[in-house]
Amino acid sequence: MDIATQPPLNRRRFLASHGLGLGSVALAWMLKQDALLAEPIRPELKKLTFDLLPRPTHRAPRADAMISLFMQGGPSHLDLFDPKPQMAKFDGKNFPEKIKYDNAAQASPKVLHSPWKFHPRGECGTQISELLPHISGVADDLTLIRSMHTGVNNHGQSIYAMNTGRVLPGRPTLGSWLTYGLGCESNELPAYVAMTDPKGLPVIGVNNWSNGWLPSLYQGTVIRPKSPRILNLNAPQHLAGQAQTNFLDYLKRMNREHLGQRPGELDLEARIASYELAARMQSAAGDALDVSRETRATHRLYGLDDPQTQEYGTRCLIARRLVERGVRFVQLFTKNQYWDHHGSIRSALPAACLKTDKGSAALIIDLKQRGMLDRTVVHWGGEMGRLPVIQNDSGPAKIGRDHNTYGFSMWMAGGGFRAGLAYGATDDFGHRAVENVVNHYDYHATLLRLFGLDPHKLVYARNGQQQSLLDGQPGRVVGDLLEST
Amino acid sequence: MLAAALSASLFGLAASGSEPSVDAKAKVSYENDVRPILKAACFQCHGDRPEVEAGLDLRQRRRILSGGESGPAIVPGRHEQSLLYRRVHSGEMPPEDAQLTPQQIRTIADWIRSGAPTLRPEPPELDPEGFTTSERDFWSLRPVERPPLPHVAAAHRVRTPIDTFVLARLEAQKRSLSADAAAEVLIRRVYFDLIGLPPPPQAVEAFVSDQSATAYEQLIERLLASPHYGERWGRHWLDVAGYADSEGYTDADPVRNSAFRYRDYVIRSWNADLPFDRFLHEQLAGDEMLPPPYTNLQPDQIARLTATGFLRMAPDGTGANGVDEHLASNRVMSETIKIVSTAVLGLTVGCAECHNHRYDPITQADYYRMRAIFEPAYDWKRWRSKAQRQVSLYTDADRQQSAVIESEAKKVDALRAKQAATFISQTLEKQLLSVPEPMRDALRTAYQTASGKRSSEQKALLDRFPKILKISEGSLYLYDREIRVEADKIDSQRKQKQREFVQRAVTAQIAALPEDVRAAVRAAADKPAAQRDAQQKQLLARFPGIPATAETLATVDPAGAAELQRLQQAAADLRKTQKADRLKALQQQAADIRKTKKPEGFVRALTEVPGQIPETFLFERGDHEQPRQELAPAGLSILSHLTLDAIPANDPSLSTSGRRLSFARRLTDSRHPLTARVLVNRLWTHHFGRGIVDTPGDFGGLGSRPTHPQLLDWLAAELVGGGWSVKRIQRLILLSSTYRQSSARPSQPTDNDFDNRLLGRMSVRRLEAETLRDSLLSVTGQLNPKLYGPPVPVMEDAVGQIIIGEENLDGERKPGAVIPLHGEQYRRSVYVQVRRSRPLGVLATFDAPEMSPNCTQRNFSTVAPQALLMMNSRFALDHASVLAQRVAAKAPQDLQQQARHGWRLCFAQEPSTAQSRAAVEFLQQQRAHFEQNPIADKKTTPASAALASYCHALVSSNRFLYID
Repeated sequence: MDIATQPPLNRRRFLASHGLGLGSVALAWMLKQDALLAEPIRPELKKLTFDLLPRPTHRAPRADAMISLFMQGGPSHLDLFDPKPQMAKFDGKNFPEKIKYDNAAQASPKVLHSPWKFHPRGECGTQISELLPHISGVADDLTLIRSMHTGVNNHGQSIYAMNTGRVLPGRPTLGSWLTYGLGCESNELPAYVAMTDPKGLPVIGVNNWSNGWLPSLYQGTVIRPKSPRILNLNAPQHLAGQAQTNFLDYLKRMNREHLGQRPGELDLEARIASYELAARMQSAAGDALDVSRETRATHRLYGLDDPQTQEYGTRCLIARRLVERGVRFVQLFTKNQYWDHHGSIRSALPAACLKTDKGSAALIIDLKQRGMLDRTVVHWGGEMGRLPVIQNDSGPAKIGRDHNTYGFSMWMAGGGFRAGLAYGATDDFGHRAVENVVNHYDYHATLLRLFGLDPHKLVYARNGQQQSLLDGQPGRVVGDLLEST
Repeated sequence: MLAAALSASLFGLAASGSEPSVDAKAKVSYENDVRPILKAACFQCHGDRPEVEAGLDLRQRRRILSGGESGPAIVPGRHEQSLLYRRVHSGEMPPEDAQLTPQQIRTIADWIRSGAPTLRPEPPELDPEGFTTSERDFWSLRPVERPPLPHVAAAHRVRTPIDTFVLARLEAQKRSLSADAAAEVLIRRVYFDLIGLPPPPQAVEAFVSDQSATAYEQLIERLLASPHYGERWGRHWLDVAGYADSEGYTDADPVRNSAFRYRDYVIRSWNADLPFDRFLHEQLAGDEMLPPPYTNLQPDQIARLTATGFLRMAPDGTGANGVDEHLASNRVMSETIKIVSTAVLGLTVGCAECHNHRYDPITQADYYRMRAIFEPAYDWKRWRSKAQRQVSLYTDADRQQSAVIESEAKKVDALRAKQAATFISQTLEKQLLSVPEPMRDALRTAYQTASGKRSSEQKALLDRFPKILKISEGSLYLYDREIRVEADKIDSQRKQKQREFVQRAVTAQIAALPEDVRAAVRAAADKPAAQRDAQQKQLLARFPGIPATAETLATVDPAGAAELQRLQQAAADLRKTQKADRLKALQQQAADIRKTKKPEGFVRALTEVPGQIPETFLFERGDHEQPRQELAPAGLSILSHLTLDAIPANDPSLSTSGRRLSFARRLTDSRHPLTARVLVNRLWTHHFGRGIVDTPGDFGGLGSRPTHPQLLDWLAAELVGGGWSVKRIQRLILLSSTYRQSSARPSQPTDNDFDNRLLGRMSVRRLEAETLRDSLLSVTGQLNPKLYGPPVPVMEDAVGQIIIGEENLDGERKPGAVIPLHGEQYRRSVYVQVRRSRPLGVLATFDAPEMSPNCTQRNFSTVAPQALLMMNSRFALDHASVLAQRVAAKAPQDLQQQARHGWRLCFAQEPSTAQSRAAVEFLQQQRAHFEQNPIADKKTTPASAALASYCHALVSSNRFLYID
């Protein structure tokens, strides 16, 4: 689907479905214009304008929205999701195979068996670590993938792989592709939202929500951890309220008068509408971000009553409120290298779990009880996992694990993913994905399928080429991960 | 199965025997309809490779009919019996997800049903490159032919030949050109078009009232001669060149310090109207136009080398940490080929890197032949680092002069080293004084022994006395602190004594007074002078010199005063022994001397190493680890019939290979069908908002067809005939009636050209991102018109927005003090650093392109974030306030004058009575609001806030953002 080549359809939808003040005369013109285009005259000229109106998909979609809980840094799959009881007898002994260390200066060949216990959870019996009691509680709703692979042992590159499809900077992110392909159900909120941590941006910073070379319309809007939550959303205090209403009224009068002399200029109409939308966004976003409207039970569910879980829980809750209001894609980020446990894993990993476990699980429970989980994909994972051996062998308190993108775990839930499934496997040491390997591009192809998009047809024409998320990589839809229809 | 195959082949024979397969008028033909589908989806396995899959070759009707291992692929007339149709219809072919669309499948069915006709008899052998006649005859690959001017009815509207072509098409639709636009509309249009800035009110006034016949021509000439012209038009070229001030590729995105010289070269070249053929030659082969070595360069030589920066603009990850060097260097080459081919040829040659081009007649071999043109300069197996590739701008004389200065500086360095040695030994001796006497010699010897040669005893000894161990030039300032502490101690001692001495003197003075006044004098003396009442002052006036003070102490107590003096001197002397500052002064002196050297500039150039000519191989699937046959440099084989000069493998008359120079000359050969067409189309695009070909970077099969093919050819011929002068073509455009038309849409019932393809009026266009920012700077009076030079820096602010500024972060990445930019922040956007990973927020929001690797056509989006930015951002609000101050300075009191002045500045026209009235009403309304809701900031009055709000509305409005 090359959206750029379908202006008449887009325009008509623009008129019909949103009623942003275009007159019936304009509508008549538009229809006439469509008729003109229908004649087989060459050339067929493209008009490069874009919008966020909902679009038809290539096939019936099973998911409408996605919340990605991005755990930047690389959560240790060996300590959270991928138990390796066989490793116990190697604990502290030399790793029997070849291994590629990233941090050679602190490398050690000694195997580190997970110091945490795993238990079978739910009816599905999927083994999950004691560090994640709340996520363990929703095990029956999860699709755990234990065979993720990007193969580039670097945070930046592997994040690019997971979030943009390629290891190089400059490409649009997953959220940009989804909103480009699907538009947005809300006409008052941004289609694509990135929520950042109070302690700062993750690795690759703003590139995590970049539109790349897609139009700027498809860039993620950042919801900041503190006020102002959305930049430029609200006027400074003395200009807010009535002063701004006066301003917008006058601006509209001026623009309408200007348009009156240029009837039929749709771009001018659209810009007037964009100011109206912006004004609506101010109140709609304020409402969506206001978690005080939720019940006390909900607050408790997300851990808002506990200082240790309150911040992350609040973001999870806001994510639900956004999706509820039609936002297409929300991604939550942890702070820079939050899960990058090269050292002190014994204390840092439990702390990271404590912060995120409750909110993550609450999201599943809450979406489910509201009947939204069926149509909302939830993703929990980072750009890598960790190695089975010790890094920084200088005492139990200081040891950690180095990077591993050859095999790691993440989970999905809702939106057509098969609940209660543990898929794929790494080798006996959790070092490499060996069974049912899921590459980042397989993950992307699978996701697009759930959203009703054909990975080969969701393209964007640029510099004479048809660009796509997979970019020619052999991404396959992993059917086993999906509920049968 | 057997039966089916048998009957199919019987039908096949029958059908092919009974129906003629050649039909020049076929509605659905192999050449026009079916082959493009098969080429894109099937040829890769069924044609392009020597070994075709299943023995089936789809490249000719004849071959399809003879079929492969499963028999004939079609049965003409019977599509449902044709294997080709059945396979694609069932989704079996093409394999995996790359299925044909229902429309494409229908086309194949229709073709088979109508007897599978071809337009022309098929040659017995395929064209050596596999091209068909229709491919060879594709519109953009035919030589440019200068068409005759068409006859038109509205001859009175013809100002330049351009108008005849446009009128001819309009008149065929019973339409004509619109009337000329009003003078104030026209001047605003040409200002933005030519220099990218709004016209100042005085210029508008002068132009509107100028009745002379040549007023418009003169205006055009003035603007074409403005140095801002090059900034505007250079920016357009920088888009297609993919200009960036950083390397991209990796996350670190390192800055390119000398890229800006290429940007300046481009701006200067457009300003000078450097003939475009020359401009291309220099960019593609400037280095081959002067003999190496590149030393003692003259300005024109520098310009040629700088021009080759064009070929160094692609993202370049070589030399970065953790990068696969071979992959990265090959990537530089493939990205560069994309840039060159889309910018100059208007073809997507890059699509043929891994396989034959799916839509255009460009083979994979063609791709690698083109790569061979650039191979000697890049030489991926002997890749030169960025430092090795840069060319120094130092002349021998510069180097010599710099050496002289360096030797002066070295003298100061030597002096400082000597001084430091003395200081260290003084400090050592002083520190040794606090060590027990018997250990001093051993410690001294240990210290003076070089650290690597110390015995373990010496090391152990020094470890016990870190204050001695740590003495070094760098740590002297720490020992200075001890000196300061000691001096401060003496100072406080002195102050204490001073108080005692003064007190003692006063007591003595009072004791000498008559008894009856002693108590009163004591009381008065004990009070600070400022707090004494009138009576006390009178009393003391009777006894001059009483009470004694620090200042008068010397007359009362000379011995005490002398002691204080001695202490003061002692502290001063001690302070003088501080050492670090004196060394620092010497260091500064050396640095100051070095500063008098001429800074060494560098050019980011592409050059060859004479004598080193690497081979070029075709890479299987584009993988540099799978080289196949060797290929020689050559132009596209589809153009071979044009007999352009061949590209030599190694030109013996040059010390370089001559490949790029020859390629550049071929491109500007008047027989070359693309270069001139592509350029004039770009010029047209920027003047009208849409090209004659609407895909300026793709003149191939997937690109648009020209709306006015004859006009395009006429312009191309004019360009070449006129010595490739760009400004000459622009004059023809700007002076035409077509360009000068009003943008008003014709009355509705007759308008069947909604998108203005026929150019019966001017199109309304939005300002580009840079033009918007530059306009704001201009109307607020802040614009710094400085030309050229290093870029204005960008940084990430505390909330992650990219803004203009010099980054100043401490070790924990917390922002430090704001570094002043001294007006650089108000320079035009073309000078703002293009850091790929940090697009300036305001520019990115308004669709400034991402350079990966280049941009052949910009987007124009209309979205709420743009509205929010204009409504609420610091950027917009600050500009509104500055504009308000400018307006208020001109008309401090009169609301009507304020409204008018702001309007004229922003819109280059007078407000109507109604517009003026509405503006004044708004000013009053906002003023009343701010009077009732006072603003905390005391500098902002209700009147100034109201005016700022008005100015804010002006710059947020469509009248500001769009050009008629």
